[in-house]
Amino acid sequence: MLASILLFLDFLLLAVVFFFYFRHALRERRRLQGVAKQSVQLQQKIYQIQVLQEIGERIGYSLDTNKITEIITNSVGALLDYDTVSFILFPEHGGEVTYRVHVHNSVPHQFLDEVKQKMVQATSLICGQDVNLDKLDERMTGTILDDHLTARPESYVNVPIIISEKLLGMINIASMKKFVYGVDEAGALYDITNQAATAVAKLENVLENEKGRLAGILYSMTDGVMMVDLQNQLQVYNPAVVDLLRLPVGKDITMFDIVDALAGKVDLRTKIDEAIQKHMPITVPEVTLADNALELTITPVRDRQGEDRGASVIFHDVTSEKSLEKLRQEFTAMMVHELRAPLTAVRWSSESLLKSVGSGKPGALEAEKIKQGIATIDTATINMLDLVNDLLDVAKIEAGKFDLNLQEYDLVEIIRAQVETFQAQAEQKHLALELIAPAHCRLKCDKVRISQVVDNLLSNAIKYTDSGKIDVNVSVEEDKKRAVVAVKDSGIGVSREDLNQLYSKFKQLTASDRSRKGTGLGLVVSKGIVEAHHGQVWAESAGENMGSTFFFSLPL
Amino acid sequence: MPKVVLAEDDKLISASLVQGFQEAGFETFPAYDGEEAIAKVRENKPDVVVLDIMMPKVDGIGVAWELKADAALSHTPILMLTNMSDSDTVSKIMEAGVTDYLLKSDQSIDQVVQKVKEVLAR
Repeated sequence: MLASILLFLDFLLLAVVFFFYFRHALRERRRLQGVAKQSVQLQQKIYQIQVLQEIGERIGYSLDTNKITEIITNSVGALLDYDTVSFILFPEHGGEVTYRVHVHNSVPHQFLDEVKQKMVQATSLICGQDVNLDKLDERMTGTILDDHLTARPESYVNVPIIISEKLLGMINIASMKKFVYGVDEAGALYDITNQAATAVAKLENVLENEKGRLAGILYSMTDGVMMVDLQNQLQVYNPAVVDLLRLPVGKDITMFDIVDALAGKVDLRTKIDEAIQKHMPITVPEVTLADNALELTITPVRDRQGEDRGASVIFHDVTSEKSLEKLRQEFTAMMVHELRAPLTAVRWSSESLLKSVGSGKPGALEAEKIKQGIATIDTATINMLDLVNDLLDVAKIEAGKFDLNLQEYDLVEIIRAQVETFQAQAEQKHLALELIAPAHCRLKCDKVRISQVVDNLLSNAIKYTDSGKIDVNVSVEEDKKRAVVAVKDSGIGVSREDLNQLYSKFKQLTASDRSRKGTGLGLVVSKGIVEAHHGQVWAESAGENMGSTFFFSLPL
Repeated sequence: MPKVVLAEDDKLISASLVQGFQEAGFETFPAYDGEEAIAKVRENKPDVVVLDIMMPKVDGIGVAWELKADAALSHTPILMLTNMSDSDTVSKIMEAGVTDYLLKSDQSIDQVVQKVKEVLAR
């Protein structure tokens, strides 16, 4: 009896132990199964992210919708279970609708027809109107169809392809199995498509921005910029081209217009061909049009692979540089002429003198002639030296190398000395010359140079005044901390236009002025001297024959 | 004695030329501006007119045109003297229909006189 009870207890114990063991094992298995399922889900999610990343990267290099959709289709296959994947793409500007089907597992024709129908329905739903899919550019890839099968698309998902708010097409995955596509799967497909669309939209945006920036830069340039392709078609041009070539505003410009505008001045087509042939930029330094001059730079344009694409032409306005050059040449010519006159006088006087002296004819008459001749040479030589000195001063002023010897002096004394020097000359022309000034005016200046300025103004005043008087006025302006000297005459005056150009090296007064001798550069040098003292020069005149007043100021 | 009107505003140069012309046996009438030059030509009907370009009132080219326009004087030979050698000035001189022109600084008085004689001989 005891043996049976013990055996029973043993079995009970065993049963309990087994029970616990099995329970544990079961729990353990369930747990592992749960983990496994989670793991699979996790793996799928990770894989999905990887694929999405790859799509994003691959699409980044291409804006070709076909290619993008292919990438999507291929990637979808990696993530989801399907029998067919199809997409339709709407054409950009008219043409046929693209329809591609990839058959993964064999299906009957009917299957495909139904899928197509579903896609059309979905598209019509989104567009809000019936979509016409009569003209289709159809292509099928993958496994051969088998019409013996009776499978139908039991599960399917349609996802629209929307890029930059435009409906570009539709993707469909279909399976003959039921309930294959749940929220997760639809979500995955949606994510893929969305990812692609966003990447494309971003790229398009970047492109638009860059195009916009380039257009902005070109628009604002003052130089004309244009580009032609290898067929001599005008690709790009900015408003400056229209402006510089004086082309009609408001209408589209073609290469004809440009070549026409340059006809007879430069053969643009030939130059462009040359630049492209030689793979080197070509410059045409000066093309003169009706009222302006342009410098052209023609540069060949090649793409990243080194293929010739065309040429760019830049138009640069050089009109002002050219006119400055012209002025310089005129000035040089004028100075040459100014020197030739006294030189001729010296030459001819010498010739006369040599003849007189050589002829051996004595007498008072001859002596008088000789004296005159020598006096002529003397005067002419002095004139030339004056001119040379003035030219040197002008050169120094322009180079900024004008040196002043500044000491403290009484300005009134300096001016008084000059006035006294000119009294005799004034009397000769029956002109009254008067100085009105305070007792003293001490300031720092270069005595020699300021004397030169006063000398210049007084000699001009006397030269250009045939009758009346000349007043020299010195006044002190405490508030402006300066002394002002005014030389007023009742002479031929200065016209309004000429007033602006009095102190300019380039603009000389008219030829009628030639009768009154002088270097013509006196005012230019005076201006340089006064401005080197940080003073100012200016002139006033009521008009021709109404006298003039020349002013200069010096800081106290 | 051939008559010469000399229009030259530079008194020094004028004096030298007048002396030269007189020694060569020309009766010389100096003028010191364009207006005076035209007046002297009308008054004296010279055999040759020697003109400087740069003169007050009317310049040498203006005087040449004026003389050409006057039927009575248009046949008078004109010798233009100048110190400007640039092409613009030269073409203006030739357009005015002068007989010949000389660059002053390149000539001696004798050479100018010689040229006048040549012009007279034509």
